[in-house]
Amino acid sequence: MSTATIPRIFTRLAHHLLKPGPPYRCLSCSRLLAQQEQIPKQDTPNSTTHFGFETVPSSSKQSRVANVFTSVASSYDTMNDLMSVGTHRLWKDYFVRSINPGIRNSGEEKGQGQGQGQTILDIAGGTGDIAFRMLEHCTAINNDHTSKIIVSDINPDMLAEGKRRARAGGYEQSGRLSWMEANAEDLSEVENNSIDLYTVAFGIRNFTHKDIALREAFRVLKPGGVFACLEFSKVNNRLFEAVYKRWSFGAIPLIGQLVAGDRESYQYLVESIERFPRQEEWKGMIEEAGFLVPGGEEGKGWDNLMGGIACVHKGMKPLR
Amino acid sequence: MLVTRPLHVFLRHPANLRSSLVWQCIRDYHSYEHEAPFPFAPTEDAILSAALSHVPTHGFSINALTQGARDAGYLDISTNLFPTGAFSIVRYHLVSQRLALAKHASSLQPQVDITANIATLALHRLHANKPIIHRWQEALALLSTARHLATSIRELALLSDELLFLAGSTTVTSSWYTNRAALAAVYASAELFMTQDTSKGFVETEEFLTRRLEEGEKVRGGLDMFGKWVGMQAGGLVDGLRSKGIWV
Ligand SMILES: C[S@@+](CC[C@H](N)C(=O)[O-])C[C@H]1O[C@@H](n2cnc3c(N)ncnc32)[C@H](O)[C@@H]1O
Repeated sequence: MSTATIPRIFTRLAHHLLKPGPPYRCLSCSRLLAQQEQIPKQDTPNSTTHFGFETVPSSSKQSRVANVFTSVASSYDTMNDLMSVGTHRLWKDYFVRSINPGIRNSGEEKGQGQGQGQTILDIAGGTGDIAFRMLEHCTAINNDHTSKIIVSDINPDMLAEGKRRARAGGYEQSGRLSWMEANAEDLSEVENNSIDLYTVAFGIRNFTHKDIALREAFRVLKPGGVFACLEFSKVNNRLFEAVYKRWSFGAIPLIGQLVAGDRESYQYLVESIERFPRQEEWKGMIEEAGFLVPGGEEGKGWDNLMGGIACVHKGMKPLR
Repeated sequence: MLVTRPLHVFLRHPANLRSSLVWQCIRDYHSYEHEAPFPFAPTEDAILSAALSHVPTHGFSINALTQGARDAGYLDISTNLFPTGAFSIVRYHLVSQRLALAKHASSLQPQVDITANIATLALHRLHANKPIIHRWQEALALLSTARHLATSIRELALLSDELLFLAGSTTVTSSWYTNRAALAAVYASAELFMTQDTSKGFVETEEFLTRRLEEGEKVRGGLDMFGKWVGMQAGGLVDGLRSKGIWV
């Protein structure tokens, strides 16, 4: 797989380099624009948060993050390929398969879920990558033609890209997808106890207040509903970690500059991964929000992918 | 320390599993001194016990797990609480039936005839498989996958410990591990035998079990020596499982 994807990255890289360069994006101008559009959160003026390794006022992180994704929206797949060493598609496949979304229709069975499908909320769903996979899983694996997916993202450019791909991929016609522009920390558009499954893939490390986002997830989920998160995480092998860090800190921002002409955004992405809490700590935060975390055979409560480059965490909202 | 012949069956497993087995044995020795906790949280207990009641119709499957979740008032998606899926029902059955043995043990006479006590207890445990016996091959298939093998062997060892302990074998000598491995092998073969047993009330399984236990007594004069003999038999069990297409 990686042998198939890595060369693609470089083909694309060459393509980008040979083509007339990508349209010039003025980071500071679009940031200004973003700041005007977004109402800052109720932060005190002095409250700060991390933007990559920089410490910035909380109120500006949101817009700076939005800006990063505006500037990488078009070269988005390339970025994911680089960060995941070419395997993010496999991880996403695994993520969706392990969640097994969809109502399980077993012929004559009469269950509470029969007839009415699940309501799935894909947060930071951006380009629809996870949503399309879930839709296909529902239909192909569980013979579920009713479950619906709300794709939500803070960034309208990412949503626009998702809608375009949904049309191109033939998913839009299903009538089972809807789109919602929202900050994951404020899902007031979504009712309490209304969601079966909340997914977030490679999104949560960008949130300013991860604990608030978790509380919102808990609020909107039905009792018995599931929170599932796929995120870059901490590599558990020293040598491998050293190699991966070299790659991510050394090469990715440089390649980002070459591919997208935007070193700063790629630098941010690499640093946000480094800042994200370790597996244990993140599990603790999920539990703190009220979720039951699956123990699993090894009793760990998470599922490392490729030695921890990425990791799946889950939580279930208890009945009461 | 563990490399005694009865364990050669375990030694067929990959080296990385082996070291964890040694470690488990040391820990299990200590578990003798503690009350074994019920390893399922109330939510898991509710869903898994409900799922188990669907096994006769749906087998050890994600479907049974889903039905269990619905029965317990949860959603289809709630099965995400069980990362090992259908295997969690198998494990639930093994653990809960092992722990239930203690209740039955009060009717036994300790220190009288350990082998007879073991036979009674093992038979009692085998009978707990009755309602799902037509599905037990599915469970065995799951138990013997590479992913679950360590858990399976550990659970079998714990059952063996429990049988020996409840039967009144309190002697913790160097042969203790030997007994355990021996008994585990006998129990596992009887369990497998039972899946093929069509006799009324599973009397043939009962005969099989007592024969195996008595043979061991006769040949080697007691449980302590028994292990060595069973070790050799265990190889046959593994081959038997393999011939059934079960990966061991
Ligand atoms: C790396 S992309 C992941 C997209 C997609 N889930 C995937 O796996 O391909 C991160 C996404 O998070 C979104 N995002 C960042 N901060 C957010 C927030 N506070 N609320 C909602 N979405 C946010 C960004 O707009 C971006 O689309």
